[in-house]
Amino acid sequence: MEFTVSRADLVRELNLSQGVVEKKTTIPILSNVLVEAEGDRIVLTATDLELGIRCSCPARVKKAGAGTIPAKRLLDYVRLLPEGDVQVKIADNHWANITCGRSKTRIAGMSRDSFPELPEMPAVLAEIPIGVVAQMIGKTVFAISNEESRFTLSGALLVLRKGGLAMVATDGHRLAMVESGGEIAGITAAYRALLPRKAMMELQKLANDADPAAIVQFSGDENHLFFKLGDRLLLSRKLTGNFPDYERVLPKEHGASVGLNREDLRAAIERVSQFSDERSRAIRVRVGDGEVKVHSSVSDTGESEDSIPAEYKGAPVEIGFNAQYMVDFLRAVDGETITFLFKDPHSAGELQPTATDKGGSYRYVIMPMRI
Amino acid sequence: MKTYFHLDMDAFFVSVEELFDPSLKGKPVVVGGRANERGVVSAASYAARKFGVHSAMPLRTAYKLCPQAIFVDGHRERYIECSRQVFAVLQKFSPRVEMASIDEAYLDMTGTERLHGPPLAAAHALHNAVRTATNLNCSIGVASSRLVAKISSDQAKPHGVLWIIPGQEARFLAPLDVRKIPGVGKVTEKNLNAQGIRKVGDLTVLDEKLLLEQFGNWALALAGKARGEDAGAWFDSEIGENGDPKSISHEHTFSVDTAEIAALDATLVRLSEMVARRLRDHHLYARTVQIKLRYSDFSTFTRARTLDHATQIDAELAAAVRDLFHKNWTGKPIRLLGVYGQSLEGSEGQTNLLDEGAIGKWRKTLRAVDQMREKFGDGTVSLAAGMKANLRARVHDNPENLPGKDPRAKDPPEN
Repeated sequence: MEFTVSRADLVRELNLSQGVVEKKTTIPILSNVLVEAEGDRIVLTATDLELGIRCSCPARVKKAGAGTIPAKRLLDYVRLLPEGDVQVKIADNHWANITCGRSKTRIAGMSRDSFPELPEMPAVLAEIPIGVVAQMIGKTVFAISNEESRFTLSGALLVLRKGGLAMVATDGHRLAMVESGGEIAGITAAYRALLPRKAMMELQKLANDADPAAIVQFSGDENHLFFKLGDRLLLSRKLTGNFPDYERVLPKEHGASVGLNREDLRAAIERVSQFSDERSRAIRVRVGDGEVKVHSSVSDTGESEDSIPAEYKGAPVEIGFNAQYMVDFLRAVDGETITFLFKDPHSAGELQPTATDKGGSYRYVIMPMRI
Repeated sequence: MKTYFHLDMDAFFVSVEELFDPSLKGKPVVVGGRANERGVVSAASYAARKFGVHSAMPLRTAYKLCPQAIFVDGHRERYIECSRQVFAVLQKFSPRVEMASIDEAYLDMTGTERLHGPPLAAAHALHNAVRTATNLNCSIGVASSRLVAKISSDQAKPHGVLWIIPGQEARFLAPLDVRKIPGVGKVTEKNLNAQGIRKVGDLTVLDEKLLLEQFGNWALALAGKARGEDAGAWFDSEIGENGDPKSISHEHTFSVDTAEIAALDATLVRLSEMVARRLRDHHLYARTVQIKLRYSDFSTFTRARTLDHATQIDAELAAAVRDLFHKNWTGKPIRLLGVYGQSLEGSEGQTNLLDEGAIGKWRKTLRAVDQMREKFGDGTVSLAAGMKANLRARVHDNPENLPGKDPRAKDPPEN
């Protein structure tokens, strides 16, 4: 196999494979990227058996064929080459020769025969603007559990229904649910699947590189989910198991609510939480007459309090929360004001953007702390 | 100037057994189990000690040293009862009493002179009062620090009172073996001896810098102890102050090593229940669980896991413990299992979104279960998975809620 490709193209596409190639060397071939040259393009494929990515770029193919090259080593090297054309030639002994101007390198590759075959993408189920997908990921991904043992919570639930979609993530302490606004014409059928966190991160990377209006084609088979954006295909194993019945735990009603400036609240919590217990991150939120107070103290370190003006006339309520959980939401949500809904110190509290566009919704439920 | 008493019961378990069976008096008696059983000596009478038998020694070794000894099972409930009687007496002498274990206590007697007279007189009065109330002998050390009080009660044994006059601490300690200092064990003693340090006095003449280099930070505490000061670990706190435990644990040694999953599971569940029970007694929540496995060859492993929320609920602890065990067990026969609750927190902290209903039910259930156990005994109610476990508390384990240890513990008994 032999081809010539622009360095810039090669670096850009190889970058996308980095999040997917296996970091551990338990199966050496998975550290490699599969390079296939055919016609006037090369196709790059990487997988860790959980995730797979396939992308391509134009190339002048002198001799069609395929081989695998260690992905990280290849990228690290090509990145250091000067701008221009890079010539790649993989010999029968699987060694890759890379030539660029006056630089020459040989990298030990491996036969493509042992590289796993990626499943074929089945018929497209939905077509969604990538910007919508990326936004929804940004609003839920932080609520995913870090607990290895809570397997079904290590991703988000993706729900497609005619004209729209929803994403739900929870770690058992808080839950983020976002629903798309407006009508998305490309979604015509209902579908539910658990999308692993890592796939969500890679999808966001794809989105960063694309026009938000660009359409991602979505599909799924029994075990996999597929996202195709232009020439790039991301596929992921589905998480198996049952996502908790989230609708059951969403509060039906709260006793009271108060509107707050998002930035003011975020800044106040970030300041005050400097004086919360490092492990529990507990702060007290006190909603009182005309203001919301945020307070935190650690007996031998210090204490801190911030107050935010608020229009509130009800009975004062004090609730403990994990500061990090609140800040996570306040960083992800758009808009100038948010609404804090609550009942008592033992019931779930909820944060929402005060205004949502085009009938979409964003709900963030947080369980209180007993301090 | 402080005045501390350290009161230590003489051969406590043996003496209590003698109350119930006077024929044991003066004979070599070993408490802890039968001579051919696996397990250790909980206590030995002075007559048995003459043969080299001491507590914590395997029963079979004790039998080899002193085959004529009378081996008796321990009666935990008797010891706890006697311990409570002693505590009741101590409370009449000072409001600041801390039972350091089932058979020893520290009293802060500072400022009680007008009530009880000078220290030595008060000590004699206490000595007699304990004898009168319980029919048991004890020894009392009196000193200006708890450390010296503890060492002097040891020197006063049996059935004596020893007062170290303030200012004379160093002179009293100097001729004693370094091993007499609480906190100096077999290994430290060996290390110190290797440096030519045999007596406490040898420590006081050493340069602190040199000690620090040779033994690290704790050596400074050791030097302080050698001068008779309260220093290091427990001795840094006040009597009866901040008695919150750092960790709560229970262990079980199988009478025959086992690799039978049902028996191991049942034991883990029972141990988890016991730990959870004590967490609730102390109003504490464990954020980390740890297990200890000891195989037949004595190789010992500990494995810990931090939970995503702190708990004191039996089922939650047991689930984490069993999972941890099955992920780490090699399948070989087990000699000992231990369950630890660690990273203890005073409040429950983060509540749960998905399981809050179930947890709430557990909380209520366990409150009722604890009351039943209080009234009818520990074995009355247990998780089904733990029913097959055959555990009993070892007689030399300290009972839960030693008076004075935990300021939030139940009210002390009425006088």
